[in-house]
Amino acid sequence: MAKKIGVYVCHCGSNIAGKVDCEGVADFAKGLKDVAVSRDYQFMCSDPGQEMIIKDIREHGLNRVVVASCSPRLHEKTFQQACARAGLNPYLLQHSCIREHCSWITADPEEATAKAKHIVEAAVERVGRHQELFSREVEVLPDVMVVGAGIAGIQASLDIAKSGHTVHLVEKSPSIGGHMAQFDKTFPTLDCAACISTPKMVAVSQEPNINLMTWSEVEDVSGFVGNYTATVLHKPRYINADVCTGCGACLEKCPTKALSEFDEGLGMRKAIYRNSPQAVPNTPVIDGTICKKITKDKCGICQTICPTGAIDYEMKETREVFHVGSIVLATGYDTMDPTPMAEYGFGKYDEVYTALQFERLNNAVGPTEGRIVMKNGKSPESVAIIHCVGSRDVNYHEYCSRTCCMYALKYDHLIKDKVGHNTNVYNFYIDMRCFGKGYEEFFKRVQEEGVTFIRGRPAEIVQENGKLVVVGEDTLLGMNVRVPVDMVVLCTAMEAQKDMAEVARVFGVAQGQDGFFLEEHPKLGPVSTATDGVFLAGACQGPKDIPDAVAHASGGAAQALALAAKGTVSISPTTSWINPDICVGCKVCVGLCPYSAIEFDDRRQIAVINEAMCKGCGSCAGYCPSGAAQIKHFNENQIFDEIDGLLGLLPGLPEIIDETGAQSVQARNVITPGEPA
Amino acid sequence: MNNEFEPTILAFVCNWCTYTAADLAGTSRMVQQPNLRLVRMMCTGMVDPKYIVKSLLSGADGVLVSGCHPGDCHYINGNYKARRRVKLLNEILPQFGIEKERVKLTWVGASEGNEFAATVNNFINEIRELGPMEACSMAVV
Amino acid sequence: MATTVKIQVDGNNPVLALQGFLKGLLDDESIGGILVPVHLFEKGLPMPTLVTDSAKLSGADPLAPAFSMNSAKLLARLTRGQSGERIAAVLRPCEIRAFVELVKLNQGSLDDVVIVGVDCMGAYDNLSYKTFLGDADSFQATLDFHGLIGGEADTVRNGVDIASACQSCEHPAPQNADVVIGIAGAHLHESIPVMATSARGEALLSGLNLPDIESANGRDKTLESLIAARIVNRDAMLEKTKALTGTLTDLSEYLSACVNCYNCRVACPVCYCKECVFNTDVFEHKPWQYMEWAKRKGSLKMPTDTIFYHLTRMAHMSTACVGCGQCSNACPNGIPVMELFRTVAARTQESFDYEPGRSLDESPPLSVFKEDEFQETVSHMA
Repeated sequence: MAKKIGVYVCHCGSNIAGKVDCEGVADFAKGLKDVAVSRDYQFMCSDPGQEMIIKDIREHGLNRVVVASCSPRLHEKTFQQACARAGLNPYLLQHSCIREHCSWITADPEEATAKAKHIVEAAVERVGRHQELFSREVEVLPDVMVVGAGIAGIQASLDIAKSGHTVHLVEKSPSIGGHMAQFDKTFPTLDCAACISTPKMVAVSQEPNINLMTWSEVEDVSGFVGNYTATVLHKPRYINADVCTGCGACLEKCPTKALSEFDEGLGMRKAIYRNSPQAVPNTPVIDGTICKKITKDKCGICQTICPTGAIDYEMKETREVFHVGSIVLATGYDTMDPTPMAEYGFGKYDEVYTALQFERLNNAVGPTEGRIVMKNGKSPESVAIIHCVGSRDVNYHEYCSRTCCMYALKYDHLIKDKVGHNTNVYNFYIDMRCFGKGYEEFFKRVQEEGVTFIRGRPAEIVQENGKLVVVGEDTLLGMNVRVPVDMVVLCTAMEAQKDMAEVARVFGVAQGQDGFFLEEHPKLGPVSTATDGVFLAGACQGPKDIPDAVAHASGGAAQALALAAKGTVSISPTTSWINPDICVGCKVCVGLCPYSAIEFDDRRQIAVINEAMCKGCGSCAGYCPSGAAQIKHFNENQIFDEIDGLLGLLPGLPEIIDETGAQSVQARNVITPGEPA
Repeated sequence: MNNEFEPTILAFVCNWCTYTAADLAGTSRMVQQPNLRLVRMMCTGMVDPKYIVKSLLSGADGVLVSGCHPGDCHYINGNYKARRRVKLLNEILPQFGIEKERVKLTWVGASEGNEFAATVNNFINEIRELGPMEACSMAVV
Repeated sequence: MATTVKIQVDGNNPVLALQGFLKGLLDDESIGGILVPVHLFEKGLPMPTLVTDSAKLSGADPLAPAFSMNSAKLLARLTRGQSGERIAAVLRPCEIRAFVELVKLNQGSLDDVVIVGVDCMGAYDNLSYKTFLGDADSFQATLDFHGLIGGEADTVRNGVDIASACQSCEHPAPQNADVVIGIAGAHLHESIPVMATSARGEALLSGLNLPDIESANGRDKTLESLIAARIVNRDAMLEKTKALTGTLTDLSEYLSACVNCYNCRVACPVCYCKECVFNTDVFEHKPWQYMEWAKRKGSLKMPTDTIFYHLTRMAHMSTACVGCGQCSNACPNGIPVMELFRTVAARTQESFDYEPGRSLDESPPLSVFKEDEFQETVSHMA
């Protein structure tokens, strides 16, 4: 079909017309190939302006439209919709900017007019290559999957469930609550962690819209926004949760012990265990790697004791498939293992603890029943708390873990409170970062409780005369210090979970340089990811304290709900397309695609775009040497012709330049003196 | 004909960062020389080296590729891919007298209108000083 | 310690001895066929041939100083997808290196192939090979070319020398082969050492029951001096080419005989596209475009896009260029394409610290990226 292009040059009042000879530009455009109509108008974005386009499309049978006005970031949608109203596919429009990139920044009117002509010419060239494209509406399945049931996952699940949507909540541990369940008090209010989190945990177990799956992991995810298929692996618990009453009789008689993960290795647990009597669910789990019955077919005591016959040593792992519209990742964080930092003696000296171990010492159901005591059972007379262990350290993590200053202050208070006010507490810090609500006030309060603050990262911890000596420098005083203490707490960094890379691969999300999941935008998209329909909640995106994690989780839930509530999602057609006749199947694009949107068809040995996952970034097209991969609306023909237009190599330009006399810019493109002909 | 050489420069800029910065520079009325013309790409990661070569062979005296700062890419890592591609051209083209200075890669974030305007003006000045791209009779498109 | 065995040479005929060795390979149950250059006619070029019947190996001449085409692409065809049978491929070092590049790009597979690498003393281009042969018998010519000790004979015959690609090739020894036939420094009329250089090669050699030898005596030294001489040639060639193509006009002149036949890309083992983008509709310009471009300057060389094509090809494959010289061999108009591309490749490969064919684990430079790299590529102009 012959191309009929309409060109519309906007004055934007005097914003454009003040510099650019809009009428001249429109006249110039008339001489360009395939241009049927070319007009200039005061305000193209106004109703009469849009009507002008619509009328021309109908009356002149235009099949391509160029609007030269403000930035397409402002009004491309407006003019696309105008085209659509006239029955023209919106992608047959090219919107070019002669305001922000021309009239507003060019001093000389002639130069501005000349530049505008280049821009219009490029648009005319380009639009001739435009093709009809169609957005696709896809259905969004109503259910949501939440992965991880720490406080963030719990919050997100409750928010979503409250709206009436079903949540499939997957937790890899035997019970929910995450790290928060390990804490005793929370800063800065000193609320008891259990008192505020247990009701939420119970709410999860009682919420009919939440399908809670503990001791389970998401093994595989396929699909795209609105339509994800997730395979969940249920690890064998060896206890039939439907029958178990959680009486705990089995826990007492089990003869096999192991270090308790929940108590951070400070206490022992049995082979059949649960994290605490308050655990949700309170069904225990049997550690199949150490249980004598399972490993050696001996023992079997728990089965004989269990009053309900819930024990099943033959239980096998099972898999269950869920279809969900979106996924919220709330997989949390790990704390850094300080063992490699040999200078701090963790693992070498008994009285050097990690922060999480110290939390357990404080916890009423922890290994010491909440008493802050040393391994010998005595209370410490002095404690050193070392901040930024592995954080703000180029050798480990460059980032700040954001929580350590505050929980260190909490420890300061708890030590003074529990062990006694005469206990000496020393904080070795770099900077105190107390930025949250009530945080600075808490800092003040703790300072007044007689805690010592020494600015400087300690060089090492040594043992001398039965004491641990913290060796460092007080950088405020500029002198070396040696502080003998009974106990040392290392405020270890929050870091990405050890299996983060694997989890990122399963869900098709990216990791930032720090290892945490990468959000869509650091400021404006902190809960979305580059993968549509996969959202983040809590510390899996970066270190967060509880209020931030909860707020972030509610944000993630709201995003998932926005999708679920509407029920459909529109997918942009400006995706990549790989020409199957040209693709040679080198698979390089598969590796370059940041969205796992390219599948490899083994039978045909070619790469195929999954348009629902493709975002049209062009990583594939930018590489593909044969040009098989092309981005729709940004294909090679379109860009080549745009380049030709911008460089004024296409017809019509020389005469017009002569007329306007605006030679300074274009002249060289016409004929260069001395150029070999 | 004019005596002083006025360069023609094309800039392939990403929609999310540098194009937005160009909008901002415009909104802030930061005067720029008229020699540089923008090609809006969705991401620098879609800038095929062919676009740069074609521009230079078709009359551009310089080509700018500009995208988001490291870590800010709207498409996660398109800018890193662009960097390798520009790097490759920076190794190839100078062997044929196309100075390295003619093909530049920069990061200009969405909020950096100032930086955008300065980049444009400085690049134009640099190319003006460098002189015209050596014309080539065979190098039609 | 890798196994080194020897092929006994009888009757002063190492080619016959190698044929025997290949027959032995083919008799091994694990090998279904052998890809090897075979003289199919009395005169003319030996062609890469897939032999499954050992009787047909009588024309095989792995030592012929002929290099009709780079077999990497052929081997890719033989190994892409399920072949069902394992084959052995007798290849020059540059063919192996090109094949490794193709495997990285999913064009072929090393799964079901045993690579028999032969020390390469160079080869004539296709036209010169005829001159080299003259009236001589093909096999006799091969024997004369190699002389008594591999790698020590002069390569000029009948006024022609081996291809310039071979004269400046610093990789006469096979890399990434399973079995290496070490003719360099070997007393070819006595025996030829064969080394197993992989587990697969080890298994194969041990099944052949060939006599063990300590090591390939003299090979290292011969290779060393060969490489040294070739590097001198290479560097001179690079300098010369640089001087000839220092400007765009010079480059145009250098390529002025180019007729856009794209034979160089067809012959290139690492130009792996099914369809070159320059053959697609992206470069199907409209008549009016040609007219306008012509009007612009008063004339327009046809076909267009010549320089654009070569620059683009440099961007696409120079990092993978193994310097085999087949591009020059294929050019109908005698353009020294290899020299140009190796000159570019020297720089692009160095800049990405990439050596094609060195290791399967090294990804092609444009297929990967890192966050912290090439900071110097980024300008700060504000």
